[in-house]
Order: sequence, then C-alpha cells, then structure tokens
Amino acid sequence: MTLKYLIQKEFLQIKRNAFLPRLIVMFPIVVMCVLPWIMNMEVKNVVVDVVDNDRSTLSQRLVHSIEASNYFIFGGLKPTYADALHDVETSKADVVLVIPQHYSAQLTQQRAPQVLIAANAVNGTKGAMGSAYLSQIVNSSLPATNNSAVVAQLNLYNKHQDYKLFMIPALFAIVIMLMCGFLPALNIVGEKEAGTIEQINVTPVSKWAFILAKLIPYWIIALFVISVCLLLAWGIYGITCQGNIAWVYVLVMLMALFWSSFGLIISNYSDTMQQAIFVMWFFVVSMLLLSGLFTPTRSMPQWAYLTTYVNPMHYFIDAIRTVFVRRGTWHSIAHQAGALLAIGSVMAAWAVNSYKKNS
Amino acid sequence: MNQFVSFVIKEARHIVRDRRTMLILFGMPVVLMLLFGFAITTDVRNVRTVVVTSSIDHRTQQAVNRLAASPYFVITATVPTPADAERLIRNQKADLAIVFGPDFASKASGAQFMVDGSDPNMAQQWTTYAIQTIANPDAAAVNQKMLYNPQMKSAYNFVPAIMGMLLMLICAMMTSISIVREKEKGTMEVLLVSPVKPLMIIAAKAVPYLLLAVVILVCILFMARYVLLVPLQGSLVWIVAISVLYIMLALSLGLIISNVARTQLVALLLSAMVLLMPIVMLSGMLFPVESMPPVLQWVSAVIPPRYYIQAMRKLMIMGVGVEQVLREVTILACMTAVLLAVALLKFNKRLE
Amino acid sequence: MNCIEVKNLSKAYGTVTALHQVSFDVKRGEVFGIIGPDGAGKTTLYRLLCTLLLPDGGSATVDGYDIVSQMKEVRRRIGYMPGRFSLYQDLTVQENLEFFATLFGTTANEGYDTIRAIYSQIERFKNRKAGALSGGMKQKLALSCALVHKPSVLLLDEPTTGVDPVSRKELWQMLLSIKEHGITIVASTPYLDEVRCCERVAFLDQGHLRGIGTPTDILERFASVFNPPGIEHSGSGAIASDNVIEVEHLVKAFGDFRAVDDISFSVRRGEIFGFLGANGAGKTTAMHMLTGLNQPTEGTGRVAGFDIRTEHEQIKRHIGYMSQRFSLYDDLTVAENIRLFAGIYGMNDEDIARKTDDLLEKLDFADHKHHLVASLPLGWKQKLAFSVSIFHEPDIVFLDEPTGGVDPATRRQFWELIYDAAARGITVFVTTHYMDEAEYCDRISIMVDGKIKAMGTPAQLKQEFNQPDMDHVFTHLARQATRTSD
Repeated sequence: MTLKYLIQKEFLQIKRNAFLPRLIVMFPIVVMCVLPWIMNMEVKNVVVDVVDNDRSTLSQRLVHSIEASNYFIFGGLKPTYADALHDVETSKADVVLVIPQHYSAQLTQQRAPQVLIAANAVNGTKGAMGSAYLSQIVNSSLPATNNSAVVAQLNLYNKHQDYKLFMIPALFAIVIMLMCGFLPALNIVGEKEAGTIEQINVTPVSKWAFILAKLIPYWIIALFVISVCLLLAWGIYGITCQGNIAWVYVLVMLMALFWSSFGLIISNYSDTMQQAIFVMWFFVVSMLLLSGLFTPTRSMPQWAYLTTYVNPMHYFIDAIRTVFVRRGTWHSIAHQAGALLAIGSVMAAWAVNSYKKNS
Repeated sequence: MNQFVSFVIKEARHIVRDRRTMLILFGMPVVLMLLFGFAITTDVRNVRTVVVTSSIDHRTQQAVNRLAASPYFVITATVPTPADAERLIRNQKADLAIVFGPDFASKASGAQFMVDGSDPNMAQQWTTYAIQTIANPDAAAVNQKMLYNPQMKSAYNFVPAIMGMLLMLICAMMTSISIVREKEKGTMEVLLVSPVKPLMIIAAKAVPYLLLAVVILVCILFMARYVLLVPLQGSLVWIVAISVLYIMLALSLGLIISNVARTQLVALLLSAMVLLMPIVMLSGMLFPVESMPPVLQWVSAVIPPRYYIQAMRKLMIMGVGVEQVLREVTILACMTAVLLAVALLKFNKRLE
Repeated sequence: MNCIEVKNLSKAYGTVTALHQVSFDVKRGEVFGIIGPDGAGKTTLYRLLCTLLLPDGGSATVDGYDIVSQMKEVRRRIGYMPGRFSLYQDLTVQENLEFFATLFGTTANEGYDTIRAIYSQIERFKNRKAGALSGGMKQKLALSCALVHKPSVLLLDEPTTGVDPVSRKELWQMLLSIKEHGITIVASTPYLDEVRCCERVAFLDQGHLRGIGTPTDILERFASVFNPPGIEHSGSGAIASDNVIEVEHLVKAFGDFRAVDDISFSVRRGEIFGFLGANGAGKTTAMHMLTGLNQPTEGTGRVAGFDIRTEHEQIKRHIGYMSQRFSLYDDLTVAENIRLFAGIYGMNDEDIARKTDDLLEKLDFADHKHHLVASLPLGWKQKLAFSVSIFHEPDIVFLDEPTGGVDPATRRQFWELIYDAAARGITVFVTTHYMDEAEYCDRISIMVDGKIKAMGTPAQLKQEFNQPDMDHVFTHLARQATRTSD
C-alpha cells in the first residue's frame, strides 16, 4: 500500500526534473538514429595499390577485376614494391598486391604463382578483411585447377551482410544499461546528498518497499524506451525482430532488473554522485567490452572468456541476437534467460540488503 | 611565484587525498589496457563447426581432419541434414557448418559452408579461413603479409585510442569538476575576492592535472611496451610532445565546461555526453571513420581526439617520421589555440 | 570618514528583485550589523560589496574604491567570509591558513598578530583536517583565514549560524577585539544578542532597507519581528505520569571515540523536552539512536514502549522526525509532500485529502498547496516540515535544530505549533541553539562531552547553578568542555 505513494513520488520527481524527461525521450531516439551508422564495422573503401611485375594479359585481367570490385578503391599501379609501401606509410593505400614476374607463365604451366598481399594491419579488422577479400578475388581469377573443389558459401540469417542488423539488438543493451543503470545509481546518492534519505529512514517504510519503489519506475521506463527503439528500428532501417517479440520484452525486463538493482547497490555504497558515476562507469566499460557486443567472446583468451559466465551483458546480447536476428525460440534462449534471472535476483536481494535503515 | 607554488601544492593535496578517485584514475588505464590488449580481439579461434554429411568417405574425412587439426576450428557435432545444422546454429551451439554434397568424393558436387551471418565480418573471416584450411596446401597461391602488426594484435590499434580517451577524460572531466566543486562549496567566492589574478587560478588548477596526465601517459606507454609488447616504433620525444599538446587541449575544454556548469553533476554529465560519447563513437577509436555516412564524417572532423589518435597510430605503431603527421599536429595546435582563448576569455571574474 | 558608502544600490535576478535602492554608510572602525529574514537580500548585498556581482543600478565604494571600476583595489582590501563554510575540508587547519595567507601575498607568520586571539584557540588542532572540526571551530578557522592578510574591511555573512552559544560568544569577543586593529566589520546574524553587539544595524526586508540605527532603536521599532511577546504556555496540564522515553547508560562509540558517553534520562508523555549541548557534544548521535537510525554500542533504551536495539522498526511507526537539513522533497509540491509521508504511515487517500486541507487551512497555506517546496521561504518550509512530521499523530516527535537561521517572529510562530502539538499529547524532543527557546521547554538536559551534565526545569537549573538565565547556565556548563570536536 505504501508502495503506491512511494512510486508516485519517484515519478513526480522524475517529471519535475528539468533534465530527466527529455533524456528519457531523446536518448533512445538519438541512439537509434545515429549509432547504427557509427557502429558499423563494415570495411569499405579499402585502397589497393598494385605492383605488376608481369605485365601480361592475365595479370592485367586480375588488375581489372580488382578495379571492377566495388569493395576496393584502386590506388594505381606502382613501379616497385617500395613505392607502394611508401603509399601505405603515408596512409594513401591500405593494401598492396604484388604480382610476380612469371605470373602468367606459371599459370599456364599449371604451377602456383606466388602472389603477395601486404596489408596495413594497424587496424587489425581492416587489414584482415581487406586481405581476405583480395585473396578471394585472386583465387577466383585463377583458372579452376583439378585439385581444388568447388566451395560455396551460404550466410544464414543476415543474407545482405547488413552490419546494422547485427548491431541494433546490441544497442538495446546499451540503452537499457545507460537508462536503468546510471539513473538509479544517481538516485539514492542524490537523496543522501539532499538529506531526505534520513527522513525516510525514520519512517516505518520497509526496505523492500523503498527499494522496489526505486526500481519499478525504471522498469516502466525500460518498457517505454525499448518500444521506442523497436519502432525506430522498423521505421528507419526496416529492421524487425525475426523471432517472437515477446521474448525481446522478457529479456529487456530481465536486463532492466539487473541494471537497476546494480545501480542501486553502487548508490548505496557511494557517498557522492561523482563516486557513483565513476564506479558505475568502470563496471559498465568492463562488462560491455567483455560481453561479446563488439568482438566474439570465443576469440577471447581463457581468463577473459571465464568472466562471461558471470557477465549478464553477455547472456543478454547472446540471447537478444538469437531472438532478433536468428529467429530463436524460447528453447534457444532459455539458458540465457535463466542466467539473467538468477543474476538479477541476486542483485536485487543485494540492493535491498545493502540499504541500511539502521546502522 | 610563491603564490603559484602554494596554489599548485594545495591542488595536488586535493587530488592525492581523494583515495577512491585516485584508485579509479590509475585503475582505469590498467584495466582498459588489459581488456583492449588481450580480451578484445577478432582473432578466428574456437569456431564451433558442425559437419553435415550423409556418408563419410575418405575425401570428406580428409577435409574434416584438416579442419579439426587447425587451431581455428573445433568440430562439435556431425549431423545428417542441413536443417539440423541450422537449428544448432540458431541455438548458439555452433557457428559454422560444412555441408558435403552426396558425391563430394567424385567431385561431382562441391561443399557448402553454412555460416552464422549475424556478424558479417566474422562470417566472412570464418569462411575464408575454412576454405583455405580445407584447400590443398599445394595450391596456395597467395602469400599474405601483415605490415606493422604481423600477429594481428588488437592492442596495436587500441593503445593510441585508449591514450586519446583517457587523457581527455582525466584532463577535461577532472579539471572541470575540481573548479565546479569550488563553486559549489563556496570557496571559489573567496578565491575570486582575493587579489590573485584569474589567470593564475586557472593555471594553478591546470598544472597538477597536466602532471597527473603525463604520469598516466607514461604508465600507459610502459604497459604498452612491456605488458602488451607493442613496439614503440616512433620517436618518443615526439610522442610525448604531441601528447602534451593534446593534454593542453583537453584542459582548455575542461575549463570551458567549468564555465558553463554550476554543479558537479552537470559538469559530470556534460563531460560524459559532450566529450566521452562523441570520442568513443566518432573518433575512429572503435569504429572506422571511413565507414560512416558523410554527415557523421564531417562531425568527426571537428573531434580533436580523432587527429590525436591518428597521429599516435602513425607515430607509435607505423613508426613513420614526424613529417607524416604534420597535418594532424597543425590541426591539434589550431584547435588548442582557439579553445584556450575561448576558455580564458570566458572565465568569470565575478559570480555571473 | 566613511569606509563603505552605498547609494541606491539595486540588483535583480531575472524578475526577482533582490535589492531595491539601498543606501547607507559605514564609518571606519565601526561594527555594523545587517539583519533581516531569510531572502531579505543580505547575501546579495555582501556579494555586491566584494565585487562578486555587478549592480543593476546605484553605486558603492569600499574603503574609497568603487566596486565596479576598481575591482582589484577593493579585492585587495577586504576579508570576506561567505555564509557556508568556505574552507577546504580535505586540507588541515594549518594548510588552510597557509593557503589563504599566500593567496593574499603574505604568510601565516606575518599575519599572526592579527589572528592570534582566534587562531591560538584552534592551533592545537593544526594538523587535523578542516572537515573533522566542529561547527564553532570551523567558523573560527574561517575567520582566521579571512583576517590573515590584515584587511581594512571584514565582511561576514551569517558567521554564527548553526554554532552553539558558547562558541558564538567567543567569536564575537574576537570580533570586538579585532576592531581595535582599526578594521571595519560588517556582519549579519539572526541572533538578537549578537545584534546588540553591533554599534549600528540596518534592517533589510525583501530587498528594501527598512531602517538604520542603534540596535536598541531598531529592535524596538521592529519589535513585531525581533521581539515578539513571549508565548503563553499553559504548562504541565497535558503531561502524563508515564514515561515515553527511557534511556539507561546509553553509549555510542566510533572506534575509541565515545560520541555519547553513558547517558540516562527519561521523558514523560506530553512533555516538551529540550536537549541542549554545544556543537559536537553528541546530541545528534543520541537522537539517531533514539529514532532507530543507529544502533547503540552499549546500554538500553525504550522509546514509545519499544526497545531501541531490537524493535527500531516499531519505534519508527510511533515517532515523527524533523532533521536540521530539510526533510521535505524540494521538487515535490506542498500537497504531494504531505501525501507521500501520510501514505508511508498507512493513511488512505480520503483521510489524506481531508486532513491536508485542514492542515493547510490552519497554517494559512491553502494558496500554496500546489507550489513546489523549493519556492517557499525558509521559515515556511520549517513550519510545513514540522506539520508533516506530526501529520500521522505520533507519540513523540524529534526535532533536530528545527529553527536554525530564521528571525525571532517566525521562530515564535514555530513554537506555537509545538505547544499546540504538546497540548494534543504529543511528546516533543527538541534540540536548539537558541537559549530563549530553551526557556520554553518543560524540562531540559544539557550535554557536555557526550555526558548529561544537568537536567531539570529551566527554573530549577537557573537556581541550581545560580545564574540569571538559561544562556548563562549553558555557558557556565559548556565552558567546562575539554573536547572540542567530533
């Protein structure tokens, strides 16, 4: 019963704040409108310099096929490898292709000519992707020999290789994390700094009612925010959820449970807003980087991979991509949802427990 | 001069006595370096592979053996139909499936890779690796050479980016907060009423953070060299010189923020929203600027860390001479001059 | 010769007028008081005089220099102490002093003669952090810092708010001794005894200068504000014979430090119990134990019949509490605050709505029902906070310095509310630094160094210690204190 009054108070305070209502509405919109364009690891416009030491019909055909590819920008023919390398040093070129002297002769003699691809690998992804594509072009320009089998590639789920489809569900995670993590983290510290928490502490309000009243508004905000995000994804990018949308909401609520509880825990242990934000930021960055949002968790070294077992962001991102992109069913995400629920409940219990009415 | 020194000492005491913040200031670079250096990697490793075949003959066995023997792939299951493989991939039990045609041995039909395409980049790399792995090694016609970063370590890419982010955060956020805190606590009133020149208040606030930033810079460089084993190719003198220029720029930004903000919370939020978000997103630290739409590329053109990170990547990792980064340095110097001028002009000698 | 000349000075923030056409002069070497209720424009006046703000109209000179055009000269000649503690809490006493000295191009040693009287009292704590000092000591340090460069004018914005009577007396004795160095002092204060220490005072109200004159003159002319008639207290009629608070051998220790050191007392139902003590004597800590915010280290206690160790949540059901920091939500309206706290105590919507209207009617607040609490004047907030804390008809209400920083007339209105509550059988447990308020209590205790040194009715105590009024009783006891800080 008292819960009703406490929740009303939280909403009124959010409404009265000069900044929060705008943040709650604008933040998902800005994130959904801008970030998918930015968080695009698609490698485009790779500049290729070619050193053609053969100057035969066959080698020119290879050069033409590179020029024709819309993946690459042809940087020009360079007389020597050193010249091409100079281009790389001055950032004018990203990849250098060196065609050996007897390229066409060796090809006609059914021997494997040694083509060199040198890529600037300071940016590892760009280097790797550029040289991977380039070697595919080189391979396909070779006449089919009898000892290589025909190999085809089928991309499941993301047929157009659209990076946005991959990133948008992950953006949901970021939005929920910032809205439901940072705002509660500031909430209780704010009351501490204003002195009103002392007044609440001398009332007979139970710890559960107080903490729940703090959590529930953020869950409702999470529901609102995620609906805006889903609508925008459909409206701007034409990207819709492949699986059952109900599971998206279930996962988002579990994520909101975790982040709002976690925010309150930090809030309970901090004395000033500055401390709360710094500590929160520390955890957010670490969890985000280790969640598999940007890079596959399986590529991580063993010690880092082990942390994903307790990282709720990892479960969430895995599960939401499964539902959203891979058309996953409840069966596909049951394991992650269970883990999220478990971690979330522990955190909520901790949040209640760490709030001290009597010390 | 005496005044200045005692001012700086007082400021340094504030920094040193706030233990929790100090811990985070030095803990953050260490954790970020470790995470970016080791954990954030797009290496092809442990790719869970399913074999789809109705009959195993020696040709398919040979291909499977090659995959299993490679460090990149782990064979997790053998299933009879592509539909089974698709279900495994959807449930996140596998990433890649190799489907052999019924007549693979006689070369009448080929093989097909079914790959979890949610992440297009990784899908592309997995299949490229897989094709190369099962192909006959004699046929390899392409030699790949990764310049500057032969082991494809992500640390090479990220170390300059972490420097760009942390130096900006520490200088801009911490200076602005320390000035706004004095406003909030009322001590700024007393400072302003004293005959001390405003320029000196600013300089004395900035110097300790400049020193702190240099210490953190040295820590990062040490970690990069001896923990992440990133070779520091370029001239150390220039690396430090350009970093100091960048630190000055960050300090000016912090001063401007402190002029606008009235409370610490606003200063924090401003630094986070106006500085941190654009830096992480638009500076090319995580996401390549070239892949962004033109509008965002223009926006990113006014973001200082972009030039700093570019310059550092060239100097530190590629080891080019300083003449190759003149453009970046010039832009940074101009930006610093403008921001510093704005910060000094806007500094309030009164309360409003 | 005039040290400060103010002519038609005006200042507005947006549409709010803070100062309107204020003119006055201060003579060299004078102790000049500026008095007036919260929001009268005192702080704005100080900031204008120390060149922190630019006036909208009018002019002023300080020590012969114009506050607009000769900012540097003015700043060189004034010492300013803002209302809030203007110290660096994380620096030690010594470090604070040295820093402010170098700020003005001098050293602590050079200025030592000027500040000797004050600084010698806190010098033994010179290696302690300023944040760990008690309120009175902080003010002494802040004063030392403002004086160390031998300014010719000292501007003090409410230097004694929240400071106990003994420290206040000492602080004013020091100010009067500084005067002998030829320093002009401008100070504001809500305390009448301090007003009487000034040679002349100016009364500001809502940005207008209402009058200037000798303290007696002004206090008489505006007697309705400063010297309201005493309150008729019908007295002990409502006091029952049973005890609602019983405390035995209560101790609260933080490490080696015993903030509350073995206190025992009891309070009867319906009584107004004054809980006095100097800054850092342990009052707030004791109150936190009684209200169930803190666990006692040793000893036992019962409040409203419940044990303070084990049954603190039941206690909270039967008490009301108002803290020295504001206990209402600034960003909620008057009605919303009442609704929240009433709801917490389990009242239903109809009861809340009916009682809210009754209350606002009684307080004459009906027009402000939907105004944000942040927009109300300080005195109103305090009255409202008190009414909210007894809205659920608790057995006992705890008030921690409820009337800090407001003028005598408003304080008197506040005490009428207290009497009203007491008449309804609510026990009132109150701490205060105003000794005239102490006289209003049925019974008082005085805490010194964590122990209760005296307890009884005001009349008994005056007789026991052979002093004319409570102020002297308190001073007599508090001077025995050996520990000076918590």
